[in-house]
Amino acid sequence: MPNRRNLLILATATLLSGSLRPARAQSVADGARAFVKATGDKLVAVVNGPGTPQQKRGTLTQIIESAVDVDGVARFCLGRFWRTASPEQQKRYTELFHQVLVTNITGKLGEYQGVRFSLGRAQQRDEDTVVSSVVERPNNPPTNVDWIISNPASAPKIIDVVAEGTSLRLTQRQDYASYLTHNNNSIDALISAMHQQVAEAG
Amino acid sequence: MHVVIRSHLLLVTALLLGNLAGCATPPPASDPEAVADFKETNDPIEPTNRVFYAIDDGLDTVILRPAAKVYRFVLPQPVRTGVHNVLSNLGTPVQLGNDMLEGKPQRAGDTTMRFLINTTAGVLGVFDLAKDWGYPDHDSDFGMTLALWGLPEGPFLFLPVLGPSNPRDAFGFGVDQVMDPFTWVGKGVAVRALDWSRVGISAVDERERHLDDIDNIKKTALDPYATFRSLYRQHRQAQIEEARNDNRATIPVWFPQSATEVVYSPSR
Repeated sequence: MPNRRNLLILATATLLSGSLRPARAQSVADGARAFVKATGDKLVAVVNGPGTPQQKRGTLTQIIESAVDVDGVARFCLGRFWRTASPEQQKRYTELFHQVLVTNITGKLGEYQGVRFSLGRAQQRDEDTVVSSVVERPNNPPTNVDWIISNPASAPKIIDVVAEGTSLRLTQRQDYASYLTHNNNSIDALISAMHQQVAEAG
Repeated sequence: MHVVIRSHLLLVTALLLGNLAGCATPPPASDPEAVADFKETNDPIEPTNRVFYAIDDGLDTVILRPAAKVYRFVLPQPVRTGVHNVLSNLGTPVQLGNDMLEGKPQRAGDTTMRFLINTTAGVLGVFDLAKDWGYPDHDSDFGMTLALWGLPEGPFLFLPVLGPSNPRDAFGFGVDQVMDPFTWVGKGVAVRALDWSRVGISAVDERERHLDDIDNIKKTALDPYATFRSLYRQHRQAQIEEARNDNRATIPVWFPQSATEVVYSPSR
């Protein structure tokens, strides 16, 4: 039979944690927001800054590798085919995915001078934090971009970017899935197609 | 001459529909994950859709994309924004009708205020002043209305000229045309010419706004068709969810705002 003092302590603890939780969630969200701001500022500085496309690509690669959970995104994008892939295929695919991601992002941002981005609010969604922003590129209408941050409290990493309601990693996964379906579910075919993509981009 | 062209067109259409109305082959039932993927893709007439995608893509490459490039080259950004705003203002009646059918009074109010402000102070819609005055734009069409009424989208369709769609949105597009008062005013040559100019300029305006993004998708996607299919679905879903979750209360500004909290607060 629990004694009264223990019950009292338990009740106080419950009350306290109850009142503290929203504040904690808010500080976690703010942390994620600061993380996105720091990463975004770095990206914009490189894109708008001086340097040859090759130099920019090098710097962008560093930023992406440190801020994005590339391995996790790669696994997500292969979907159900990840489990059927051999360890060797998984390794080659993941390596290529790193290069494809950098190539695609550089392609999306590289040609712009005068990219601006303004942060909106940050909110918790399950384990992740969603940070809203508006990205403005010259000649293009402003785009609403949400950044999905995993482990916002301990080790924040970008796991998805949602532009105008379209998730980058989900779109990529469905692109790969369709490619695989039309190529006899051959992961080697996907790997060689990715290889070619990277080679063409230089 | 006319008849000849028409019968040719008929023949081409018949051939297309007859030979190419192929269906996607579902995966064997022994592979439940593949079956789940197939259902999620929900594109039973994929081979036919791909044919229309190829045709649309060809037309786009030789007509619409070059037109959009010229449009961007010739007119500076502020002018293009003005053109876009005028077109968007002309779409107000359809937008308002759908806001009301969706049961979204705040959105209907926003649309009405936008029309009143932008048509007058915004000089026939050229300047979007309403946005800065607290009445931002939102998407609203009959496809969305049907979705909010609970109608599912149905299988994916890639339509000639219109592009990615589904039965719900294609039907919605038709209803929007009927709802548009400009469909019904005047039958003269001048009005018809204006109507068609509006269609043409809308197409070029819309294409110009997506020049960079579409170029990028075609460059980076392994299967552009599948990528556009995914993007279309996700974007529509986001538009619908945004409308669904827009449940701002319609309390008139002159009504004591603090009192309303007492009236509606469930905790009291």
